[in-house]
Parts: sequence; C-alpha cells; structure tokens
Amino acid sequence: MHSPLSRRLAEIVGGAHVLTGAECAPYVVEGRTPECAVFPGSREDIAAVLGVAADSGTPVMPWGGGTGMALGSPPAHPGLVLGLRRLGRLLEHEPGDLTATVEAGMTLEAFQAELSRRGQWLSLDPPQAARATLGGILASNASGPRRHLYGTARDLLIGITMVLADGAIVRGGGKVVKNVAGYDLPKLAVGSFGTLGVIVEATVKLRPRPDCDRLVVARFSTLAEAGQAARAVMASDLIPSALDVVDGEGLRALDGEGAPGGAALLVGVDGIAEQVEWQCEEVGRLLKDCGLAGVRVLDGTERDEAWRAVGEMPQRAFTDATAGMKWGVLPTQVAELIARAGAVASQRGLRAAFVAHAGLGIISAVLDAAGADAEQVACTLGEWRALVNGSGGHALVEWAPLAVKERIAVWDTPGPDSRIMRQLKAELDPRGILNPGRFLGGI
Amino acid sequence: MPALTEARKKSLRREMEALLGPGAVLSDPDELMVYESDGLTLFRALADFVVFPLTAEHVAALVRLAQREGLPFVARGAGTGLSGGCLPAEGGLVISLMRMNRVLEVDYDNQLAVVEPGLVNLHLSWAVGARGFYYAPDPSSQQACTIGGNIANNSGGPHTLKYGVTTNHVLGLEVVLPDGEIVWLGGKTRDPQGYDLTGIFVGSEGTFGIATKIVLRILRQPQAVRTVLAVFNEIDQASEAVSAIIARGLIPAAMEMIDQLTIQAVEDAFGCGYPRDAAAALLIEMDGLAAGMDEQAARVIAACRETGAREVRLARDEAERQLLWKGRKSAFGAYGRISPAYLVMDGVIPRTRLPYVLRRVNEIVAGYGLRVGNVFHAGDGNLHPNILYDPRKPGEEQRVVAAGGEILKVCAEVGGSISGEHGIGLEKRDYMPLIFSEADLGCMARVKRAFNPTGLCNPGKIFPSRKGCAEAGFASRPHPIEEAGLAQRF
Ligand SMILES: Cc1cc2nc3c(=O)[nH]c(=O)nc-3n(C[C@H](O)[C@H](O)[C@H](O)COP(=O)(O)OP(=O)(O)OC[C@H]3O[C@@H](n4cnc5c(N)ncnc54)[C@H](O)[C@@H]3O)c2cc1C
Ligand SMILES: Cc1cc2nc3c(=O)[nH]c(=O)nc-3n(C[C@H](O)[C@H](O)[C@H](O)COP(=O)(O)OP(=O)(O)OC[C@H]3O[C@@H](n4cnc5c(N)ncnc54)[C@H](O)[C@@H]3O)c2cc1C
Repeated sequence: MHSPLSRRLAEIVGGAHVLTGAECAPYVVEGRTPECAVFPGSREDIAAVLGVAADSGTPVMPWGGGTGMALGSPPAHPGLVLGLRRLGRLLEHEPGDLTATVEAGMTLEAFQAELSRRGQWLSLDPPQAARATLGGILASNASGPRRHLYGTARDLLIGITMVLADGAIVRGGGKVVKNVAGYDLPKLAVGSFGTLGVIVEATVKLRPRPDCDRLVVARFSTLAEAGQAARAVMASDLIPSALDVVDGEGLRALDGEGAPGGAALLVGVDGIAEQVEWQCEEVGRLLKDCGLAGVRVLDGTERDEAWRAVGEMPQRAFTDATAGMKWGVLPTQVAELIARAGAVASQRGLRAAFVAHAGLGIISAVLDAAGADAEQVACTLGEWRALVNGSGGHALVEWAPLAVKERIAVWDTPGPDSRIMRQLKAELDPRGILNPGRFLGGI
Repeated sequence: MPALTEARKKSLRREMEALLGPGAVLSDPDELMVYESDGLTLFRALADFVVFPLTAEHVAALVRLAQREGLPFVARGAGTGLSGGCLPAEGGLVISLMRMNRVLEVDYDNQLAVVEPGLVNLHLSWAVGARGFYYAPDPSSQQACTIGGNIANNSGGPHTLKYGVTTNHVLGLEVVLPDGEIVWLGGKTRDPQGYDLTGIFVGSEGTFGIATKIVLRILRQPQAVRTVLAVFNEIDQASEAVSAIIARGLIPAAMEMIDQLTIQAVEDAFGCGYPRDAAAALLIEMDGLAAGMDEQAARVIAACRETGAREVRLARDEAERQLLWKGRKSAFGAYGRISPAYLVMDGVIPRTRLPYVLRRVNEIVAGYGLRVGNVFHAGDGNLHPNILYDPRKPGEEQRVVAAGGEILKVCAEVGGSISGEHGIGLEKRDYMPLIFSEADLGCMARVKRAFNPTGLCNPGKIFPSRKGCAEAGFASRPHPIEEAGLAQRF
C-alpha cells in the first residue's frame, strides 16, 4: 500500500526505512494506526521528512523506544511515526570533562554500558532503560529514584540539537558544564513531549560511578510511620541518593507479598565505602524511633532488582492494572495524600498502589479496577485529581484505557502561564504538525 | 526612540509618583547617572526614569505604562552584573527591585524559601542559617548581588561545581510578563505540567519579564568541610591536578585556580600566606558527611602531589579555612590596588583543555602588551582572565577589548562557551555567532517573541547588534546605544 506520502518519504530515507499498512502494527498509538512509519538516518533527512509532513499537513509523532507513547491526550489523527532508531550512536565521551554527546535514538541501557566502561554514568534512572531512548527520556522528562540527590533531565542536559517543524536544525546550550550564552533551550526540550521539535542529539553531564551503592529497605507497619521516617531522614545529616516510600499494595511489586496498611521506606546511599557504611547504620539508628519493623540492606543484583521492581511497580503490583497517575505535591503531604487517595479507591471497591519520591513530593499512583467500568475509573481518577489539586499539587493521568481518557482530561486545567506555552508552540511549530493536541492545554 | 518631550516626562513622572509614592521616581540627570552602568563600566546608558516599586502590582502597572508609551524598560537588581545586562540600552524605564527585598516564607520541612527579587543573595543564607540551612549558589559578589539578578543571569559561583548553578535551585517564579500580566511559572512542587517556563526564564537576562517572587531550594549545611590549598611551580601541573581529582571519582564542592600574578597581588594587598613565587595555586574544598571526609581529602592531596604540587596545605580549622578563601575572595580588590582598571572576562572550556587555553590566554594578552591575572572556577572550566589596563592611556581600552575578543575565540574553538555566568548582555552580543548559527539565534529569537512580542522588555541585549536583529525578524533599529549621546563605548 503506497500512498503518495509514503512514496515521497521513501525518496528521502530509502524504501527499506518506510513502513506502511500492516507493517505499522507495532506503532499503533491508543488504538490508532499511523499512515506510515519512517526511520531517517540523519538529521538532514529528518528535516526533509518534516518538510514533506508540513506540506501535506500530516501530523508527526517522534518515536524513541515507544515506552511512553501512550502519555498525553490521544492523537486526533495519527499521521506518521518518525522513528529515531537509526540515530543511536554515542558521539563523544570525554571522561576528563564528565560529559558525553549522544544521538537521541540510543537506548539508556546501551549508553550507560558505554559510559561504565570508563567508570562513569548518567545519573538518571528511569524505568525501561533497555528500551527507552535518550530522546524519549528527555522529551517525557522521565526520571527515577536517584533524582532525589542527582536531579532530573533538566539538571543534567547541557546541550541539545533539535530539528524544528520548519526543518531548521538548531542547537542550544553547548558541550561545557557551565554555560549561560543565549537562552537555555535545553530546558524547553525537556518535558516537551515532542511538540516543539525532534531531538536529534544531546550533551549531558556525567558522574563518576560511586565506589559503593546500597539500598536500605526499612519496613513499617503503617504508611504514616513510613512518611514520618522519610521526614526524619530529610531533617537529618544523611545525604541519601534516593528516598522512596512504597505503600502496602505497592510492596507487592517488591516481594510479592505486600500487605494493606504496611509500608516501606527505600533509602539509597552511595559514595565511598566509609560514607555508605555510616549512612546505612545511621538510617537504622534514626528510624528506630519511627516504629521501624525491620530493615534490610541490599547490594549488587539484589539492589538493582529491587529498584527495577519499584520502577515497574505499575505492572507488577496487580496482574492487570487499569490506570496510572503522576502527582506533584509538597514532600510533607506525601503520606497523607496517599492515605486519602487509597481510601477514595477502596470506598469504590477498587484497589490502588503507590510509590513516591518522598523527598521531592512526586507520587506514582496506580489503580487496579478489574471489572469496573470506564466511568467508575474516570470518577476515581477525577476524585484523586481533585484531592491533589486541592492540596496545591498537580496530577497527570499517565496512562489509562482510551475509554477512560475520553471521560477525564489527561492534563490538569492549564493556568494563566499556558498562554506563553501556546505562543511558544505557535512560534516553533506554527502549523502544528508535531504531536498536535496531545499536550497540556491542547497544544 | 525619539526623546521624550519635557512636558511628557513631567506628566509621566506625576503618574508614576501617584502610583509609587513620593521619592520612588528619579528623573533628574544627576540622579540617573548613578544607574548608567553596572559592574562593567565600559558601557553607559542613561534612563529617562529610575523607579522603585514595592509590589508586583507596582511592577505590573509600570510595565503596562511603559508598553502604553512605547518606552523600553529593564529590571535592575544591585547592578553588579558584568555584561551591561541591566543598562537601559535604549533609554526608558529602569525598574529597580531594591525595595522588594524580603524573605516572604521559609518552609524548612519542605526545604524551600519564597523571596522577593531584591533580596541580596547572602542574606538568604543568613536568614536560614540559624536553622542549619543555606542557599547554595554563591557568586563571589554574593554580599551585594540580588536573587533577581542571579535568576536573570543564571549565576554561578565557586560551589556550583558540586551543587549546580542558580537554575538547579529555582522551583518557581511569580513574574510580571512583558505585557504587564502577573503569572506564576512553576511553583513549590516539582515537575509542573507543560513546558519548563521556569527553566527558560532563568538565564533570559531580564528579556522575558520581571521576576517578583522566587521559590528557591534551601539545603542543609554539610556536616563537614575540608579545604586544601595546593601550590604548583607550573600552571600546567595545576590544570592536570584538576583532571586527576576528577579521574579519581571525586567531585569536590569547589576547585578554584589562582595564578601567579593574582597570588602576588593578593599577597601585596592582604597577606593571606600564599607563596609569592608559585605559578599557581588550587583551592579545593570538599564538603558533605563527616564519615569518609578524611579519605576524600587524602585522595585529593594524593592527586595534587602526583601531578607535582610542591606544597599541599589542609586547613586545620575554620580560621585557617577562611584565610585560604580570603586569598581567592579578595582577588578583585587586589587587582584594584595594582591597576587603575581591569576587565573581567568570562569564558568556558572543557576542563581537559585548561593547559592549552591558559597558555593561549597569556600569549594573547602579552601580545597586546598587557597583563592578565587568572582567578577562576577551574573545576568546571569557567575561566576568568582579568586583563589589567589603564583607561587614561590612549588606545589601551581598545586593546583590552580586542584581547578579550581573541580569548573568546579560543574558548569557542576548543568547543567551549563565551559565557559561563556573567551573561551576554550588551558586552558579548556580537560574539554570539562564534558559538551559535543563524538558525540557533533564529530559534532563540522566536522564543523571545513568545514572551516579549513588542521587544520593549530589555531591548538591545543578547542578540547580535545589526545583522542578527534583522535576521531574527525584529524591527532593526539603528544602534541606539552608540547613537545620540545616549551611550558610548569607552
Ligand atoms: C510502565 C511504564 C512506567 C513508567 N514509569 C515512569 C516513571 O516512574 N517515571 C517516569 O519519569 N517515567 C515513567 N515512564 C515513562 C517512560 O519511562 C518514558 O516515557 C520513556 O523513558 C520514554 O522513552 P522512549 O524512548 O520509550 O520514548 P517514546 O515512548 O518513544 O516517546 C515518549 C514521548 O517522547 C516523544 N519523543 C520520543 N523521542 C523523541 C525525540 N527524539 N524528539 C522529540 N520527541 C521525542 C514522543 O513523541 C512521545 O511523546 C513509564 C513508562 C512506562 C511504559
Ligand atoms: C566582584 C564581582 C564578582 C562577581 N562574581 C560572580 C560570580 O562568582 N558568579 C557569577 O555568576 N556572577 C558574578 N558576578 C556578576 C554579578 O554579580 C551577577 O551576574 C549577579 O547575578 C547580578 O546581580 P545583580 O542583582 O547585581 O543584577 P543586575 O546587575 O542589576 O542585573 C543583571 C541582570 O538581571 C536582570 N534582572 C535583575 N533583576 C531582575 C528581576 N527581578 N527580574 C528579571 N530580571 C532581572 C537585569 O535586567 C540584568 O539583565 C560578579 C560581579 C562582581 C562585580
């Protein structure tokens, strides 16, 4: 099935790199099949593809590893998928400068493997590293537990190259760790969900791999105690690299036997051996007064597996979870909000599980609504949102069945600053071809 | 900008006085002169008015008035900027935030503070110090510069090697947009939805509006600190020590380099105990947990010795630590004693290129028959060559500026940047093409237009003067700051 569009695209990237019809099955987004999927081999080809798309008014969905394509409002018209998989090289790694420049289509796992050969790493640990790409991680501002100490993509990205909707290839930032020349375009790229430009290359700050890295899993019989414990760690001299709270249902992901009411605090500590040992002991001492019910210190593969389990909690806690939200609140509100949201779900006869970056106030909430109808799910998510918004926080529906998304907005109601966001979109993508309609405020 | 008529000036003055109260509007040329420069005195520009609002609503009303009149306006903090950023390049209104200087709220449990833009940087650390907290970004000017200015320039400082620059510590801002609307960008919570407007506002050098409230992270003071001074007979050895420390998996809180000319100036002026005959000294500070601190210090000292340090001193107590820092911190004062004037340069290079670039800097400056002192953030490759000169000697200022330009070219050639913390402002706008293409600048111009469509908010900054503006699609005006006696170079 070759449409005029796919023929023109094939002229640019070669026929082998254009998929059409049934071949597009892996690229279905929210039930919608794209017209074609195209895999350019260079940034110039990306510019040319965008030119073709603009001419024909075809929406473009940049595609990295595809692990986060369901994020955002469902696309009204699927258009074409622009895959980055052929741009997957590490371009530069200068260990002495603690920087690396990488193409957007490289997976995080492959990137970390290269870096670790020279004793360094990118201090960003979102889930799905084997599939997720640097471009996708930046575009969706994905992060993991170690953001507690090391920050998120906005703190680590120092240079970006994007292809804008009009084909312009633009660079912002640079290759040095400190730089204030010109506007901080890397900040605009992070979390823009492919709506402002296609990320083709990124330069990031690196860190030396720590000598030693452990995970302290502290158990409590109540969530309130775990929350109190998190606050005690924050108020102490400890400098953990991660500080996550997992509720009783969420714990099922960790060891398969969570219990309603129970909870755990996960404290990551890394650095030189003496520091790590002191921190592990100090966590135990400090938490004794918070009702500590048990503590384990994990290292090596056990530690990695536990962190992976926490990252994949949404898939692991329940056999078939229905929907997930991401909330941002004040750290001191975390435990109470989780408790209240859990109560909301159970009043409706639904189960819920929660993991939070407790020191930062980022909560991942998962709803298990097996058997419930879309209306009931949407109502629960809506109540959750009201709860979070009412506490001054924000609440995003990260994933949910289409029928639910038809009943509840993915994004919060935009604030007055969204006027500037719309103007930015209008300046950088005036014809609205990049992921149109999927972002906050209909951008 | 056609000059305002006297009658118009009078009526505007009355209108603004009615808004702000008496004494909050300056328009007398003698009074305006105080505000014609910032820390970079090469540039001067006179405003029509300097005004002192007390609230965001005041700022918004002033901005709306300026838009109504087609008058340019620019925010001003303490005026310690080093790129001419707060100068009224095209006349109009200077909006000083110095009266808006309160700490509005401190939430220790959530480790954040809400402050007004005119707050002096160091005063925030004072305000939260008693509870064991501090604000990490520490520009060397921190006793004077304001949080608003820090936001605009994304300022750094010695300890930003480990803790990051201003942008890594800002959670949200209340801003008066260039059209006078008051909006919040970000807030107290992480990962706000939508584009990272907070992130793009920080570092926009006052061209995206005026910040009126700022939410900042505050950090707990570290348990322990170790400060080491390593002395070298060759500047290359000091540069190599920086790399050797990084290679050992350490990221100290600060790694500052001080060269021989600076050491001698500091010793002559203040006597901090640095050896006068050393080619370079590295001031290295580690902080964090007490556990493992001695081990870290040992690793740093070993790295310095391995790269040829002839002497390594570890401060034994806080008094000794302060003395070591005094040498670094008083460098600017010391230059003032040995030279009638000096130009502070700011460039960034990959830190592995330090030996080469420092050699080039010294050659370039010597080639112009001038002297240079280097005191800088070596850990992150942020150079500050300070070129000494005498403005009374004919032609010397021109030579300083030419030498500075060549230094920036070298920074660009090795893959660096033309500014690490002082900003582009007026000073470096014509050097932007050294590191950015037309397409890059065009993209930045589009971003600017989204915030500042009339261009009246801090005009004449960041973008290259003639060509760049036309390309960017802005109404290309003749060079306002160089015309009409409004401003002059040198
Ligand atoms: C089960 C599950 C759990 C998750 N949990 C978390 C979590 O806990 N925390 C968290 O932060 N994230 C989480 N995510 C999100 C996920 O980690 C990120 O979305 C992912 O890292 C994106 O990488 P990707 O390469 O797969 O991107 P894709 O899925 O391919 O794309 C994601 C978005 O980015 C855009 N995009 C991709 N590449 C580019 C590019 N080069 N230029 C411009 N735009 C581009 C796409 O158009 C799309 O909008 C989770 C995802 C899943 C599926
Ligand atoms: C001796 C000395 C040492 C220095 N050391 C350092 C250093 O170590 N690191 C470093 O980064 N800088 C340093 N600087 C430069 C300078 O101190 C910083 O750039 C500082 O942030 C400027 O703050 P200010 O309040 O003086 O701002 P100003 O000079 O008044 O203004 C600077 C810019 O900020 C804008 N601005 C001010 N307030 C606001 C607001 N509320 N909203 C929006 N825009 C605003 C202005 O329009 C202008 O563009 C040094 C300067 C001196 C003189």
